[in-house]
Amino acid sequence: MLLRLLTWPYVRKHKLRAILTILGIALGVIVFVGMRTANDSVLYGFQQTVDRLAGKTQLQISSGETGFPEEVLERVQALPEVETAVPVIEATVRTGLPGQGNILILAVDMTGDRGLRQYEFEEGDESFIDDPLVFLAQPDSIMITSEFAARNHLATGGRISFDTMIGPKQFTIRGIMKSGGLASAFGGNLAIMDIYAAQQVFGRGRSFDRIDLKLKPDVPLARGQSALQTLLGSGYQIEPPSSRGQQFESITRIFSIGASLNSAFALLIGLFIIYNTFAIAVTQRRSEIGILRALGASSRQISGLFLLESAILGLAGSIIGIAFGLLMARGMANYVSSLFGEIYGVAQRVETVAADPKIVALALVIGVATSMLAASIPARDASRVDPAAALHKGAYESFSPRESRLRLIAAAGFLAIAAFSLFLRGSEGLRLYAGYLSVVLAAILLTPALVRRLVVALRPLLRSLLPVEGALAADSLIRSPRRTSATVAAVMLSISLVAGLGGVSNASYESLMSWMNNVLNPDLFVGASEQISDRSFRFPASIGGELRRMDFIDELQMVRTARVMFRGAPVMVVAVTIDSLSRRVHPQVIAGDPSTMYREVAAGRGVIFADNLALLKGVKLGDIVEIPSPSGVLKLPVAGITIDYSDQQGAILMDRSVFVRNWKDDTVNVFRVYLRKGVSASEGKRRILDRLGAQSRLFVLTNDQVRRFILRVTDQWFALTYMQIFVAVLVAILGIVNSLTVSITDRRRELGVLQAVGGLRRQVRQTIWIEAMSIALVSVLLGLALGAVILFYYLGIIREQIAGVRLEYEYPVRIALSLIPTMIAVAFLSALGPAESAVRSSLVEALEYE
Amino acid sequence: MIDLQNVSKQFDGKRKVIALDQVSLSIARGEMVSMIGASGSGKSTMLNLIGGLDRPTSGEIVVDGERLGRASGDQLTRIRRDKIGFIFQFFHLLPTLSCLENVALPLHLRGWSRRRIEERARELLDLVQLGHRLDHLPEELSGGERQRAAIARALSVYPPILLADEPTGNLDSQTGAGILSLIRGLHQRLESTILIVTHDMDVAESCPRTIRLKDGKVIEDIRR
Repeated sequence: MLLRLLTWPYVRKHKLRAILTILGIALGVIVFVGMRTANDSVLYGFQQTVDRLAGKTQLQISSGETGFPEEVLERVQALPEVETAVPVIEATVRTGLPGQGNILILAVDMTGDRGLRQYEFEEGDESFIDDPLVFLAQPDSIMITSEFAARNHLATGGRISFDTMIGPKQFTIRGIMKSGGLASAFGGNLAIMDIYAAQQVFGRGRSFDRIDLKLKPDVPLARGQSALQTLLGSGYQIEPPSSRGQQFESITRIFSIGASLNSAFALLIGLFIIYNTFAIAVTQRRSEIGILRALGASSRQISGLFLLESAILGLAGSIIGIAFGLLMARGMANYVSSLFGEIYGVAQRVETVAADPKIVALALVIGVATSMLAASIPARDASRVDPAAALHKGAYESFSPRESRLRLIAAAGFLAIAAFSLFLRGSEGLRLYAGYLSVVLAAILLTPALVRRLVVALRPLLRSLLPVEGALAADSLIRSPRRTSATVAAVMLSISLVAGLGGVSNASYESLMSWMNNVLNPDLFVGASEQISDRSFRFPASIGGELRRMDFIDELQMVRTARVMFRGAPVMVVAVTIDSLSRRVHPQVIAGDPSTMYREVAAGRGVIFADNLALLKGVKLGDIVEIPSPSGVLKLPVAGITIDYSDQQGAILMDRSVFVRNWKDDTVNVFRVYLRKGVSASEGKRRILDRLGAQSRLFVLTNDQVRRFILRVTDQWFALTYMQIFVAVLVAILGIVNSLTVSITDRRRELGVLQAVGGLRRQVRQTIWIEAMSIALVSVLLGLALGAVILFYYLGIIREQIAGVRLEYEYPVRIALSLIPTMIAVAFLSALGPAESAVRSSLVEALEYE
Repeated sequence: MIDLQNVSKQFDGKRKVIALDQVSLSIARGEMVSMIGASGSGKSTMLNLIGGLDRPTSGEIVVDGERLGRASGDQLTRIRRDKIGFIFQFFHLLPTLSCLENVALPLHLRGWSRRRIEERARELLDLVQLGHRLDHLPEELSGGERQRAAIARALSVYPPILLADEPTGNLDSQTGAGILSLIRGLHQRLESTILIVTHDMDVAESCPRTIRLKDGKVIEDIRR
């Protein structure tokens, strides 16, 4: 009843503010739903592909992603617990067909694979597949799915070309699989080929990527797993197919954390918009509340009314946020998918972006709860309104001395907690998060006092620029500290977020550039894929011999990169000839003596850990680490810790000889090529392609191209940060518009008087513009100051909690300097609408306004 | 000085309200006129129309030779600031500005130099006997003092026309009499045209001319 009688007319009267409030929540929910759904869709797509490819597979044997020698298969098949064990090679290749992107090639041994996977064919194709020997006898055979065939107008007997290690290769379509089950893996972009042909075309030598197996019916999974582990040793991972999803999640963990943090920030800012709106609403409706209280409304009824209002607005914002969040997820999912492919080199394909009921429900709860939480303080204030004092206009807009004192005491308390937490030892996470939260809360509590001081200091300047307009604008801000500080707090938080994130982004680029300058110095990179991070194709070592014979090449480093399981998670191993590397690169060494480090590692007596990986895994100089390999567990001391961004989570660097010996794998992912003096990169590239381009799949990238690729991927990664910055600025705009519309309503009579005594419209407009720009200036100054502190916490959280990356603290001066005019301009633009509404409203009504 | 020809004002809401109905009247330069009538008779509406705060639905209003009906928003503002001074019942002083600053406000809006503004504001405050309250904020003044400050503000450029809406309505009778005496004194000294809207018959009868409104029409025009 109260809602219909009191709230609805108020909302109708202040439509713009209601819309802004709903938008505040909607923004947070959009980011939450959008990022979570996109992230989950990619993870789900990956898991779905894994499940569909698995068929009846109970266990998969792998050795990270390095593969292992063929002989392992015979040993596994001989184990009494095993019923069926078949080898698998998986690779993704570009189709080259318009709009088709990549296709996943599953290479299997057709003689045994049908015991695990069900191949259902379109009519007429079974007879051919029924005789696997025919399939095997023709290494150009390939089977595709009916979906892929239909999309590309392909039929049995037709031919299709894929890039392989031996150049573009024509395959003959021998069968078309019916859609559903296996055939729907990777969105239907799936092709099956013979594993021995795949070894050749994907440069696998005489190794397999993994073995899929089924145990005998009476063998429990745990027993089979244990028997296989005993047989193969701890250098192999024997896991159910579902664990691949967990490994994928582990690789993309940083992104998931980033997505969650993005959502949390967006909601935090939304929380301030709601707080701002309700704080203002309570101030404005104070006399109404007073009348209600005088008529017998209880405190509980009053606070309940405001909480119900906030719940309704939160619900509306959540519904809008969910709808737009799902739309955003559709756009983002493919972006995230390709980003994962480029950063982590793990192929996956988003098949469906659907609304997960759990995410939708959570978004509704979060949206409504955030809204109610934000409104709870103003609601409490409303319930405490003294009916007798309620009609005393203006008094409530300022803080009582007691309230101001309490705020200062609380702020001092939070600052003390922040200072104390700096010296806390033990839980790094608690130390950083507690410190961060305390600093933010202290800043919010101090906002009214700081705003007052800043505006008072600003007033003479504004007055000297425009005597009346400047003074009135400053006075309006000083006179209503509640309204002003609620807006400034919201904008300040947004700006501090921009400064903090900008600082992180700057530091990341600085660090990356420094690493690239120190380490990424070959003239050319010869890879088997267009993307340097793609590990589907590998060169045989013999290509290295051919490259070495080229007289224009001064030095060649053969690099093998692969993820292996280290302490339960996939970690990148980089194997390279350390002797050569030590002559050419000069990474920043964090721990260890460089010459000893290189000597020991080159001799196969140690490994070098990336600083971030060492921190995340708790590894220190001199620790003996255990790295599983097909030859058993490799135990080597950590000879040094360096800054290394070969992989986002950091990498383990070892000598190539150690890798070849233990993994029985001499293939190469990338050749780092140093040209002789006088040979330009373009000439070297042309000459390599002339000699080898025809006989092998080969991509020669110049140093500049690789740097640009890394920077492009980094830009894409930080696009999410920029989106966050965009949301923060948008929220700042919403805050300013919200505050100005309220300010104009509050000052309607004052602005009317100004016009009545001769103020031109231009002058009224200028008053409002100055007010808006002053809010922006004060907010930016406070936000930049807060940003300087929270950047410290962000860098700490990134280092200790998320990525382990050591980023140097450097205040983003350029961003800060650009934010001041930007936000003032944004405030000016935000003020245009409210200013126009002020000068166009009826003067008579304005003068009569109470 | 002030001419109204067939002026009507209609408010369109849920129900149409005719606030002024075909009113014609003239006020000569230097006249001091009171306007009386019951609540809703249209007297404040007429004051707002003459002051250029509102526009008539039909008819023509000419103030000191300026046709208000054809003036743009900013032209109306210029007419107001050059020719008209307003005195409001609730004073409408800006609470954050000192007495001196409130009086100086219209002069600042005209772009006068600081020195000239200061001189004029002090002169006006002396005129209304508030020379000792220059730096006081409105909340530090009594009701009568606030109204005197508002009158000083209305006189800032010595406008030829002074419009007062219930200038004593918010004051006790003694203070009200003081304010009225001040207005009368100013009328004599400055020879301004003064139009006072009031409920108070003593105030009305102290003016040489009284116009009575009823239901938006002039029903009586008494000259003494």
